[in-house]
Amino acid sequence: MKDVINLKVKWTCQKMKIFCEIIHNCYSKIFYENWPFWFAGVLIGIMSILTFTWERPWGVAGGLKNWGDSFFYMTGLYSQKPSSPFFTASSILTIGLLYGSFTSALMSKQFALRPSSIIETIKGILGGSTMGIGAAMAKGCNIGGFYSAISSMSLGGICMMIGLFFGANLGIRYLYWELDNIPSSPTKKIHNIKKKRKQFNFFQLQPFLGFIGLLLAFVSMWFYAQNAYTKIGGLLLFGILFGVILHRSRFCFVRFFRDPFMSGEANMVRAVSYSIIISLIGFAILKWTGLRGEMVFVTKTFWFGGLFGGAIFGFGMVIAGGCGSGSIWRAGEGHIKLILSTISFALTTSIVNKIIQSYPEIKKIMGVRVFLPEYITYGWSIFLIICIFCFCSLLFTWNERTEKFIIEM
Amino acid sequence: MQNKIQPNETLDCIGLSCPMPLLKTKKKIKKMKSGQILEILGSDPGSKNDLPAFAERAGHEYLGENEDDGFSRFFLKIK
Repeated sequence: MKDVINLKVKWTCQKMKIFCEIIHNCYSKIFYENWPFWFAGVLIGIMSILTFTWERPWGVAGGLKNWGDSFFYMTGLYSQKPSSPFFTASSILTIGLLYGSFTSALMSKQFALRPSSIIETIKGILGGSTMGIGAAMAKGCNIGGFYSAISSMSLGGICMMIGLFFGANLGIRYLYWELDNIPSSPTKKIHNIKKKRKQFNFFQLQPFLGFIGLLLAFVSMWFYAQNAYTKIGGLLLFGILFGVILHRSRFCFVRFFRDPFMSGEANMVRAVSYSIIISLIGFAILKWTGLRGEMVFVTKTFWFGGLFGGAIFGFGMVIAGGCGSGSIWRAGEGHIKLILSTISFALTTSIVNKIIQSYPEIKKIMGVRVFLPEYITYGWSIFLIICIFCFCSLLFTWNERTEKFIIEM
Repeated sequence: MQNKIQPNETLDCIGLSCPMPLLKTKKKIKKMKSGQILEILGSDPGSKNDLPAFAERAGHEYLGENEDDGFSRFFLKIK
């Protein structure tokens, strides 16, 4: 009898061990290995549709503008009170993005406050400010002004896309010039900061902190729902999911515009293309069926605001090392340069937006709304945009082999 | 194994974030000779993907990486 019980205990322990191993492998796959770009691209496309279906298209710069507005109102510069960051759709999406990438970094043991050299810090601040100007002109960053705008079939979004290529190109040329002409700052100070942390292995604790973080997020969503703000709670969840997806795959929209000219790689070009095509089809369905307004995210940016805003933004994002979404998920991982970039982005975009709104002549120059299906029907609009991205993917895949577009160092 | 690698040159990219570590690596390699080993110090988690991918594309041998206190050491053998 005793033997039977012993055997059963042994058998149960073995099964438990296998179960724990499976859980550990699952966790590893999600949080220790990087997600492939194409997979993240598809997820982002789906998430983009879900977010728009829930409430509104995904954006990042809108939230940053709200934060900038709130700051300037609190310091007395603005007289008009902006809507509360915790109850505004644009802001909560960006809060979610930041929080999601932060908890993802914790659960992957990748969070660390990473100081940067003086030059990198300056580039972060200036890059962020430049992006702030570009985003105000183009009425959105890489996400709002390019990704969601093109999904919305706004011609202004295509103008921004062209501008972004030019801006990124200039940004790369600047970086090459900097490599040749500006010596890098000594990093001895950074080494000293690192040594202090030797005592306590913070990294082992991180997954537990991350898990608590996620629980807190769910509690917040519950609170929102209890107080009739379920939609905002939902946007928080979507923002967090975007944050996790971007962080785990290290998805960088900047690379769509930068890689073909710098390293020649086209895997991000392909990933963003798949993503935007999926998102486009979902948006077209939502708009055509009348479930969502046709003019949503079709902004008055054709063509000056889109094109030149895009070029200015494109330059800034290469200097900063991240666009709107990229700066935020890297800020969530602890990169000081990108934290500063996000702050200067928020402040600058708030001011420039105020300027544009205050001067009707300037506002007019930025452009008009052009909803493509109004001119060439839904079918042809979808076809045209798919063609544009298929063309980009093919062209830059060709460039991967031939390296014709790479700017020489 | 990696502790025994003796690099010919060391490139300090600690505190630099994307795309600077990669750009500095490319520039450094241009000045090095075939067969030499380059050690790159970096703190950006992105480098763990970028550097091996770059090595593969450019034909250099990626020898591996070591974790140190707050940064990583990457080893490349120039083709």
